[in-house]
Amino acid sequence: MRIIDLALKDLSQVFRDKRSLLFLVAMPIAFTFFMGFAYKSGSDNDASKDTRIPLGWVNNDGNGYVSTQLFEMLSNSDSVRLVELTSDTVDESIRTGEVAGALIVPTGYNKQVSAGNEAPLTLVTDTNSTNGQSLYQILRTSVTKLMSAVEITHLSAETIGKPNDASELNEAFASASQAWSQADSASLVKVEMVVESAPAENWYGDNPYNQASPGILVQFAIMGLVSSGQILVQERKTRTLQRLMSTTMRSWEIVAGHMLAMFGIVFTQIALLVVFGQLALGVNYMNAPLGTLLVSVALSLWIAAMGLLIGTVVKDDSQVILFALMAMFIFSALGGTWFPLEVASGTFAAIGKVMPSAWAMTGYQNILMRGLGLESAWMPTGILLAYAFVFFALAIWRFNKMDV
Amino acid sequence: MKILDIALKDLIRSTRSLFLIGMAFAAPLLITALIYFSFGSIASGNVDMPTINVGVVNLDVLPANSLLEAPLGESIRSMFFDESVQSWIHASDYPDEASARGAVNAQEIGVAVIIPASFTEDYLAGNKDTVITILQDPTLSIGPTVVRDMVTSLLDGVAGGGVAFKVLTERSEANGQALDPATIPTFFETYSTWYANFQRAMFHSPDKAALVVKSPAEKGDTGNNVQSMMGMIMSGQLIFFSFFTGAYAMMSILQESEEGTLARLFTTPTNRTTILTGKFLAVLFTVIVQGAVLLTAGRYLFNIRWGETGSFLLSFMGQMFASVGLATLLVSFIKSSKQAGFVFGGALTTLGMISGLFTANIQIAAFDLMGNFTPQGWVLKAWKLSLAGQPASELVVPFLVLTTMGIVMFAVGAMLFRRRFA
Repeated sequence: MRIIDLALKDLSQVFRDKRSLLFLVAMPIAFTFFMGFAYKSGSDNDASKDTRIPLGWVNNDGNGYVSTQLFEMLSNSDSVRLVELTSDTVDESIRTGEVAGALIVPTGYNKQVSAGNEAPLTLVTDTNSTNGQSLYQILRTSVTKLMSAVEITHLSAETIGKPNDASELNEAFASASQAWSQADSASLVKVEMVVESAPAENWYGDNPYNQASPGILVQFAIMGLVSSGQILVQERKTRTLQRLMSTTMRSWEIVAGHMLAMFGIVFTQIALLVVFGQLALGVNYMNAPLGTLLVSVALSLWIAAMGLLIGTVVKDDSQVILFALMAMFIFSALGGTWFPLEVASGTFAAIGKVMPSAWAMTGYQNILMRGLGLESAWMPTGILLAYAFVFFALAIWRFNKMDV
Repeated sequence: MKILDIALKDLIRSTRSLFLIGMAFAAPLLITALIYFSFGSIASGNVDMPTINVGVVNLDVLPANSLLEAPLGESIRSMFFDESVQSWIHASDYPDEASARGAVNAQEIGVAVIIPASFTEDYLAGNKDTVITILQDPTLSIGPTVVRDMVTSLLDGVAGGGVAFKVLTERSEANGQALDPATIPTFFETYSTWYANFQRAMFHSPDKAALVVKSPAEKGDTGNNVQSMMGMIMSGQLIFFSFFTGAYAMMSILQESEEGTLARLFTTPTNRTTILTGKFLAVLFTVIVQGAVLLTAGRYLFNIRWGETGSFLLSFMGQMFASVGLATLLVSFIKSSKQAGFVFGGALTTLGMISGLFTANIQIAAFDLMGNFTPQGWVLKAWKLSLAGQPASELVVPFLVLTTMGIVMFAVGAMLFRRRFA
């Protein structure tokens, strides 16, 4: 009972402070919108819009048959829209967004290619951007087909004994280009997402908030330690902790009381963000309500235990903020809340995958993106609980050593 | 002299604050380091991508009377088990689609390639309904794309063989020649060798590939794409924490007011302009030191090329003026140091968000537009131009806007302070 009294005291202390609401609720909601908006910005689908990627075309080699064929291939493409440019205007056109990239045909290209020599085309683009990467993929396929047609032309002409006959080369090239235009290997490959037990009408697998919502939820749950961690510091400053220690309350009861309050704060925040995500952003946490609850409880326990540990380590309020922010940066980045660990380097991803924040993300993503049920929450929950226990044990050890 | 004394006292106070040191230097460096570490191996050219776990279900069989030595499915399967890809692809066989699907669900594999039983037969017959299915974990994007590209590339190779044979047949007929069967194996072998070399150059030797990619601003000093991305990310962090540091350092005026030392200072023969100027200098110096440390760290730790000297200086000075101006304005609205966390956290984070500081490496039109109305947005514009290798002349407008913003904000803030402490 005394544990609950202590927890209630902490909770009233935190919720009386209006600033707490900024960190606990307003900022995470604003950031969730913001990140979702950022993820979504590249995937605006409007049927009336020309969605082809604008590609600058700079031909420094006149009207040779190879570059002309490439121009025709790209002009007929459903993926790119050609915009004719000159070499001088390429950088400016990319910078102003008129084109996403530019393909430059070098001087002497047709002659070199026809002679079987290397003559690379240059794609000028920002490959960090989605459009830049898409352009590279599209052009790689087109250039492969073009160069294949050139090679086949030469092989064919040689085989029939007319390697230098311009007319034969032109005919063979036209024939190869025509045959390639009808070959579509990409249509022979179908990609399917593996999603379990999710009826189509309730499925939000392509919702950009499926990454943003749990990511921000985990990040700001850690950030919430700023509010809860300061309680222990305040108690020490005001000598309340010393007075508590002189009562019949045992050390572990004091620690448990504070831990319970921190758990309450973090869990309330997570619950609010889950409800907000479900109702306002269409993030389907209710695909497995019990699974969401289990992961949320375990996540709250781990963060509360970490908050307790920070509270026993720091000396003043500003250190709480600093330690909480550092914890947030490290666990958020390594745990894949900012960007999926798949895009990180191997070592980073390997370290990240063992982080408790990564297990929390896995727990939520199993439900939100993989469409899995309660059974998928057991493993992440178990691992988060193990982390909570380790941090709690460390906090008790520090608390017993603390000079109050 | 008194101005310098006040500035020096404030600076000493700042250096004693673990919080300020942490927020001014440790936090932006930590964030950038974490992101750099996550992409660092790419920047150094050392491929250290996470292993892609691929499951293969090969049900394809060689049709009767086929001229091929092995079914196409076997070629696709062996591509994933090839020694050359073992460092980044870990492939396993699965007997059927259900077991592969279960493995994706259990996250044992991220991608499964399902090759149907009659794939070779259907493909050779020109049946376009036959498909290879790639099952993917919905949380992944890179692994499945790589696997799809590998399969498509192999099919392109096979299709190329078909195109080559078609052209040879057509041209032989057009020239009235009978195609000598003895020449066909050599013809195919030559084409296959060319295709394999072409693909190898395309994927593994960018300098020898038929398509070379260059960055738009490439002028020999902007580094590779990852370094350019790191430049954008770090400039976002630099700006956010520079404004935070300026505001926090300026808060010393409130702390002194609460501690009573400001009132005592007012009783000395020191006019208010001198006091405020001293504090302004301290904040300016703090922001300069912070910027200098972060920019140097960015250059030498993360290999970021900040741009030409003139452009770099204009960006840095613009950032200083704007951050000190906004710091003065913000702190002039705050009544006590307790409100600081609320105001700084709310105002600076919101301004940072709408200015695109946290998404500096992504171009979002809405943030570009909103950035026109915030000092942070203009600082980001300046750094983007500088990072892109633009000359100083291109940065004159952002610099003038930032200087004007800084002066106006400082003037309004100073006026409010004068009224408060009149």
